[in-house]
Amino acid sequence: MTMQKRKLSPRDYLEENPHVRGILRIVVAIVLTIIAGLLVVMAINVYTWQGFVVRTSKSLVNGLAFSMLLFLMVSGFYLIFGLCDVINFAHGAFFMLGGFLGFVVYLETEAVFLDPNLPFQLFFGTNYYALSVTAFVVSALAATAIMTLIGGGIEFFTIRRLYGNPIAQILLTVGFMFIISQIAEIVWGPPQFTYFILPNSQIYFFFMSGVIDFGGGLLFETYRIFLIFLGLTVAVLMFLGFRKTRIGLQIQAGIEDSEMVEALGTDIRRLFTLVFMLGAGLAGLAGAVLVPQIGANSGHGLTYLIYAFVIVVIGGAHYGRFEGTFFGALIVGLSTQFALYFIPELENIIVFIIMVIILIIKPGGLTGHE
Amino acid sequence: MKNLLEIQNAHVYIGSFYILQGISLVVPKGEVTLLLGRNGSGKTTTMKAILGIYPPREGNILFKGEEISDLPTHKIVSKGIGYVPDTRRIFGNLTVEQNLIVSRRKGGLKDEVQDRLNLIFELFPDMSRFFKQKARTLSGGQQQMLAVARALMNDNDLLLIDEPTEGLSPLLAKNLIAALDRLKEFATILLVEQNFRTVSQLGDNFYIFDNGKIVHEGSDMNKLMADKALVAQYLGVSI
Repeated sequence: MTMQKRKLSPRDYLEENPHVRGILRIVVAIVLTIIAGLLVVMAINVYTWQGFVVRTSKSLVNGLAFSMLLFLMVSGFYLIFGLCDVINFAHGAFFMLGGFLGFVVYLETEAVFLDPNLPFQLFFGTNYYALSVTAFVVSALAATAIMTLIGGGIEFFTIRRLYGNPIAQILLTVGFMFIISQIAEIVWGPPQFTYFILPNSQIYFFFMSGVIDFGGGLLFETYRIFLIFLGLTVAVLMFLGFRKTRIGLQIQAGIEDSEMVEALGTDIRRLFTLVFMLGAGLAGLAGAVLVPQIGANSGHGLTYLIYAFVIVVIGGAHYGRFEGTFFGALIVGLSTQFALYFIPELENIIVFIIMVIILIIKPGGLTGHE
Repeated sequence: MKNLLEIQNAHVYIGSFYILQGISLVVPKGEVTLLLGRNGSGKTTTMKAILGIYPPREGNILFKGEEISDLPTHKIVSKGIGYVPDTRRIFGNLTVEQNLIVSRRKGGLKDEVQDRLNLIFELFPDMSRFFKQKARTLSGGQQQMLAVARALMNDNDLLLIDEPTEGLSPLLAKNLIAALDRLKEFATILLVEQNFRTVSQLGDNFYIFDNGKIVHEGSDMNKLMADKALVAQYLGVSI
């Protein structure tokens, strides 16, 4: 009797030989370091040392700012997908609508603050800096609140009826994506128009000309630093909420097994509505605070929906952890900005290249299982 | 009230499959009732019907004399039912402690649950050792302890325990049965078990399931074990 020899795939071989795996890991690390070193040398050669430092720091700051905002938007998309099993195609549209709401509320609030017939003039005086910041915060909060209600309403009145029916859910959320985008187009015009808050508006003093100078050509806009702090604050609050509160733990547990969470006595439907509200609210917040950088545009819905997909896939969609979304957002945000400053041709495709590489090495994403 | 739970002529479908074909059973208060039978005979579905996961299309389920079959799952369990599912279904990404917090219907792990935690540590002394560990890193036996502990985190009158010894070594199974024996003092238990000999000394009453129907019921476990024909016909060959 002959034993049939089992065919070993490279993955099985590595699984069974930890020492080979260890050596391979070191080799990969060395090769990556060499490639990174070569890239740095090439970049210094092209841009000079001073140019390299400036570009690197700018990519880093802008990339971090962008990552944090992506994280705000995508965390909601991930939670809705993870807990409710709904791929929310309307999430980009939530983000886009948040942008328009922030834009409109900002202008209205600023007009009210500047109205000589109202008492706000007494309060702000000629301190336009405080005025613009207050108006901006009001616009961000208003966009968050309105999107929270819209998200909760959409879940409560429509999606709630379709749990367990994925095809109908996809059709429904795609439908909402088109409805919200079309309404935005009717009200604010097609994607060819982008609305920026003009430099003659008071916000100019805060965002567009506000810089922090570290010397040596290292100038950073106050706005970007603000974005990083806002994103980090929300991220820290969410991480704490997920670790320290019962409801946060229930959401995490529900992502793994929502039926079991319900069998332990939690009203899972209420949790679903809550997650939808949280997700839509965060998308609205991200849209509103990004207006000074990317403007409000009825085409943003689709563009940022694609970012959401890429980040969730990189982070680990299935059985993945919330942290995966954070790292996914960091990878996407930083890589696009580094590409923009060093290899502008790659700006739009770098995230897809990285996604393909990560999926080849870890098919389940950074934190997910296969 | 003598019977804590009563199922009256329940017909349960999963999708278009007709699983429970008119079963009736009672779970007397303070006793252990066993549901026995082969794979696919409808034992687990009975538990899920009680929990409202697969509510009966016909028939009634009474808990403490109150109709519960038309309530959503979370309302049913909030009336005082703890569930230990067959595949454990612990939350692997959470720690043991967090698994227990999630299981609390209200409040976290504050002082008022110290008694419960003490009972859990008394039943499963090992658990304090891996209390802060991620649940997915636990062994099968440890996961089963956690699954049982989860059901003890609330004031439950009835515990539904599904195949607790499945996949455990004989020694671990024996320890677990000893723990369940101790739990009899605190709650009424409805226990599903394929390997009925391991739980025979535990049960006060039993029902034997076959093809979605109850084919035999009784309260004398010794008589059941002696009835070789019955065992061979409905409980497989696990003698």
